[in-house]
Amino acid sequence: MKIFKISLIFILILSGLYFFMTNSLLAEQAGSEDIIIYTKPVKAVSFNHKAHSEDYGISCNICHDKLFQMEASNVEKKGDFNHKSFSKGKYCGACHDGKKGFAMDKQCTRCHIGAKGLNKTGKK
Amino acid sequence: MIPKKLDFENLKIESPDSLPKMERRKFLKMGFAVTGLLAGGKILSLLSIADESFASSKEQYPYKPHYSMLIYQNRCIDCELCMEACVKTNNVPSYGYRTTILKRKVPKAVEQQVEFIPILCNQCNRPPCVTGCPTKATYKDKQNGIVMMNYKKCIGCKTCMTACPYNARYYNEEIHSVDKCDFCFASRLSKGIATTACAEACPAKVRIFGDLADSGSEVYRMVHQVEKTVWVIRPESGAAPNIFYTRG
Repeated sequence: MKIFKISLIFILILSGLYFFMTNSLLAEQAGSEDIIIYTKPVKAVSFNHKAHSEDYGISCNICHDKLFQMEASNVEKKGDFNHKSFSKGKYCGACHDGKKGFAMDKQCTRCHIGAKGLNKTGKK
Repeated sequence: MIPKKLDFENLKIESPDSLPKMERRKFLKMGFAVTGLLAGGKILSLLSIADESFASSKEQYPYKPHYSMLIYQNRCIDCELCMEACVKTNNVPSYGYRTTILKRKVPKAVEQQVEFIPILCNQCNRPPCVTGCPTKATYKDKQNGIVMMNYKKCIGCKTCMTACPYNARYYNEEIHSVDKCDFCFASRLSKGIATTACAEACPAKVRIFGDLADSGSEVYRMVHQVEKTVWVIRPESGAAPNIFYTRG
């Protein structure tokens, strides 16, 4: 009876681990987190990947790979991922010029969700 | 004859509007604004308008320098760098704050729906906290108008915390005294640094610290123009605050 109990627990743990790993692997492969949170150069900046690709119908090649590499948040490693570059038409600024997308010097909190917005998403 | 007791629970809520115009004008001439009419008109709530918080160009500012802050509300992105800088500079404990950021959400708004509102002590010209303090532990500095604390005199009764219209005070358990924002006077201004830690840390130029008595300062210029609306929080408190808000 005792052996049965122990083995049952063991199986449960194993299956749980399996689920957890496959899930995270799948998510990474697809590379399509719905919402990406940038933390550099300033924390709590949200980018809704799903809305841009699905709701607004922007095709992948508009942003990838010229403006942004496929790997999420990789752009933060570059030293010029900031508003100054945006105003020169780099990164987000390629579209957010007040014509294609809303201007990047207005409506700050649509991207900058702040510490309070971040708490709500439950991400870090 | 024993006068009839006031039946407070069944009194009608009465606004100053119910007072005849001529009556109100009479009070205005005497230097009072009628702010409320209570107990069937037997009690008038009056507020002195002698030195109203309007920033008219004729107004003389009582302090030199008259420290104040202008906040470009729409620029705030709630990155909390100001709060972090404040905590570090002024040793603020985790259970209190000298400045914080409020969030205003308008779910039905077109496009942008969220706005962040930084708040701090308003260093009021008529500070209710100072009026309420029984030991004069909190006082208005005669030179620069900053509402300061004398920790030795504070008995921790927290009357000032209740009186403050801006919820800008906390009880510091380590020093057994109420504590508050002093525009970084102790930590920076008194050492010759020109601006507060929060204003310096802000990456979006939200907080403009300056001297309202100096007609060349950005604070003065913004407060004394008519093109853009400038406002204060809770003007009805009559405290004549020195933190001004605008967008732009």
